[in-house]
Amino acid sequence: MSRPPPPPPPPPPTTNKDQQRQNPSLQEINIKLIQSGEKERLKELLRERLLECGWIDEMKALCRAFTRKKGRNNVTVDDLVHVISPKGRASIPDSVKAKLLQRIRAFLASTAD
Amino acid sequence: MCARNSIYTNPKPFKHLADYKLRHGFNTYDSIRNCLKTTPNGRTRVAKHTTKIPRCSFCDRYQGRLYFCLMCSSLWCPSHILLHTQSEKGHEVAIDMDRSELYCCLCCDQVYDPDFDKVVVCNQVKDLPGGSKSKTNSFEASGERSSKRKRLDSGIGLDLKKSELLVSMRDRRAKSCYPLGLRGLNNLGSTCFMNSVLQALLHAPPLRNYFLNDRHNSVQCRKRSGEKLCLLCDIDAISSAMFCGDRTPYTPAHFLYRMDHALLMHSSNLASYEEQDAHEFFISVLDGIHEKESKIRNSGKDDGDCQCIAHRAFSGLLRSDVTCISCGFTSTTYDPCVDISLNMDTSNLSSSNANKPIKPDEKTSVSTLSGCLNLFTRAERLGSDQKLHCQNCQELRDSSKQLSIRRLPLVLCLHIKRVEHSLVRKISRKINQYMQFPFSLDMTPYLSSSIVRSKFGNRIFTFEYDNSNSSAAYEIFAVIAHSGMLESGHYVTYLRLKNQWYKCDDAWISEVDEGIVRASQCYMLFYVQKLLYNKANEDSSFVRISPRRDPFESTAGCS
Repeated sequence: MSRPPPPPPPPPPTTNKDQQRQNPSLQEINIKLIQSGEKERLKELLRERLLECGWIDEMKALCRAFTRKKGRNNVTVDDLVHVISPKGRASIPDSVKAKLLQRIRAFLASTAD
Repeated sequence: MCARNSIYTNPKPFKHLADYKLRHGFNTYDSIRNCLKTTPNGRTRVAKHTTKIPRCSFCDRYQGRLYFCLMCSSLWCPSHILLHTQSEKGHEVAIDMDRSELYCCLCCDQVYDPDFDKVVVCNQVKDLPGGSKSKTNSFEASGERSSKRKRLDSGIGLDLKKSELLVSMRDRRAKSCYPLGLRGLNNLGSTCFMNSVLQALLHAPPLRNYFLNDRHNSVQCRKRSGEKLCLLCDIDAISSAMFCGDRTPYTPAHFLYRMDHALLMHSSNLASYEEQDAHEFFISVLDGIHEKESKIRNSGKDDGDCQCIAHRAFSGLLRSDVTCISCGFTSTTYDPCVDISLNMDTSNLSSSNANKPIKPDEKTSVSTLSGCLNLFTRAERLGSDQKLHCQNCQELRDSSKQLSIRRLPLVLCLHIKRVEHSLVRKISRKINQYMQFPFSLDMTPYLSSSIVRSKFGNRIFTFEYDNSNSSAAYEIFAVIAHSGMLESGHYVTYLRLKNQWYKCDDAWISEVDEGIVRASQCYMLFYVQKLLYNKANEDSSFVRISPRRDPFESTAGCS
C-alpha cells in the first residue's frame, strides 16, 4: 500500500504590505506548540478547567450509561470515545474555549520571529 | 439513587496478555521503564523521542492517540495499529503514549496488568520530588496506628444483649406500639435544634449502647465529683428516659440548662443564627463529652487516639495532600475530624453551556450527596493569592490541594453547608436547593487509598494499605432536616429503626414513609457502618405489637 501524500507545504509569503510576516499554517502552529512543550501545558489547563466545570463528570456519566446498556464486556474504549465525542465537543463551555484561545494567541505572540 | 459501583473489580487478565507475558516475561516492561517520563502533575508518558514529534508510522499523524508497540517501539495511530499486528506476528501489545495504559491489538481494547501498573507507579513515585520520602507517604503500611487502637467491638460492648435485659426489666406498662427508645422531646422555646441533635445522638448505635450498657454510672460519677452531675450524667438520664417505655414527651431540662450555659461561655461573638445551629450544637455536645471524659481519665490525648465515647464513635482521619504545580512535590498532613462539612454541588455546567442543553435524564441539575463528596475530594487549585512555600523549589508556588479520608469513623456525620455568606453584602443566605442522598452509602471512592491511587492514572495496582471494602459500607439511621428561613426555621429528625422511618418533631413522634424522608431538605446526615447497623437491628426483642399505622398520624404517646 502506498503512503498518503505528505501534508502541503506552507503557503508562500504574501506580498501585502500590511502583513510583515506570513500567517503560520495550522501545522506549523501545532509543531511549535508540541516542541516547546506548550501543548502539554495547554492540555493540563484544559483538563483542570473541564474538571472544575463538571464536564468530566458528565462524560463519565455518559460512558456509564452506555456501558450499562451494552453490557460491560461488550464495550471497548474506542466505542466509548466515538459515542461521547460529538456530545463532548458540543458541550464544552465557551469560557473554556475562550481561555485556551487566549493562551494560544499569547504563546504565538511571544514566539513570533 | 443507585450507589456508584466504586469497588475496583479487577478485569480478568486477557488471554492475549497472559500469553504475551509467558513469552516475553517482563523484559519489555523493564525496557519501557527507561522511556517513562513523569510530568509534575503526576502523569506518566512514554517519551522516547526527545527531538522528533511522535508520528504514526503509516500516516504520519501526530495528533490524537498514539500507540507505542512494546516489541519494536514503533508508533501507530488507532486506525493503523492493526496493520502492524497483522504484518508482525507477536506485536500485539502496545502502550497509549499519553496515558501509559496498555492496549491489546487483538482485542482492540484497553487491557490491565498489575505488573505493568507496578512498573509505572514505582517509576512515577521515584520521579516525583522527594522521591523516597513520598514513597513512604503514599505506601504507608496500615500498621502505623491502627494496631494500637483496640478493636472497638470489644471496647464499647456493642452487642445489645446486656442492654436488652436492662430495658426489658423496666416499665412494661406502656404498650410499645413503636420501638423502644422513641420518645418526643418538649420544645422550650426555639430548642428544636437541641432536640433534633439529641434524637440523632441517642440513637447512634455506639452511643445508645454505651448508655444502655450503663457505661457511665451516675452514682459513681457523683461520688467522684462530690454530688455534682456532669454532662454525661445528663445524657445518661435522657437516654434512660427515652428507653424506659414511657411515651409522654420528655423535657431534658438539666441537659438544656447545662448546654445553654456551655454555649454562652464559648460563643461570645457568634451571630444569632449560629447559636441556634444544629451542627454547631452537635459539635459542642461532642466537645463537652470529650472534655468531661478526659477529666475523668486524666488524659490529655489528642482527638486521634482519644477513647472517649464521642471520639470512639465519630472520630475519623482526614488526609490533605498539597502539591506544588511546578515540580509536583507533595506534602501530606493528617487531621482528625468528628464530621465532614460538605459544600453543595450546585452544578455549573448546565448554566454555562450556551450551545446545546443537556438531556434531562442525564441528571446534571440535581444536587446529590455523591456530587458533594466528589467536590470535597476533588483536587482544588489554590488561588495565586494563596501561594505556598514548596520545599523542593524553595520558593512560593502555586499549588493544588486534595482532601481524602484516611480512616472512616464508626458513625459518619455529614453536614451539608446550607448557609452562604456574602462578604460583599455582609449577609448570610440559606441555600434551599434540594439534595438527593442515598440510604446505603459506599465511601470507598473517597478514601485516601482510592484518591491516591487515582493520582497515578488508570491503574489496578493495589496499594499496601488498601483496606478491605467491607468497612466502607454505611447505612443511614438519622437525618436532621431543616425547613424555613435562616432565622425562623425549624429542625426535625427522621430516625430509621428496623427499616421503618419515624419523624421526631419535638414532642411529636410519627411513622413516616421513606419517600417523605428522601424528599426532605437534609442538613445533617448520620450514617453508621453497615455491620453495626445490621447488628443493631437484628437481635433486639423490640416487637411492635400494633399493626402499622397511617403515616402522618402524630401520637404524643400511645394509648
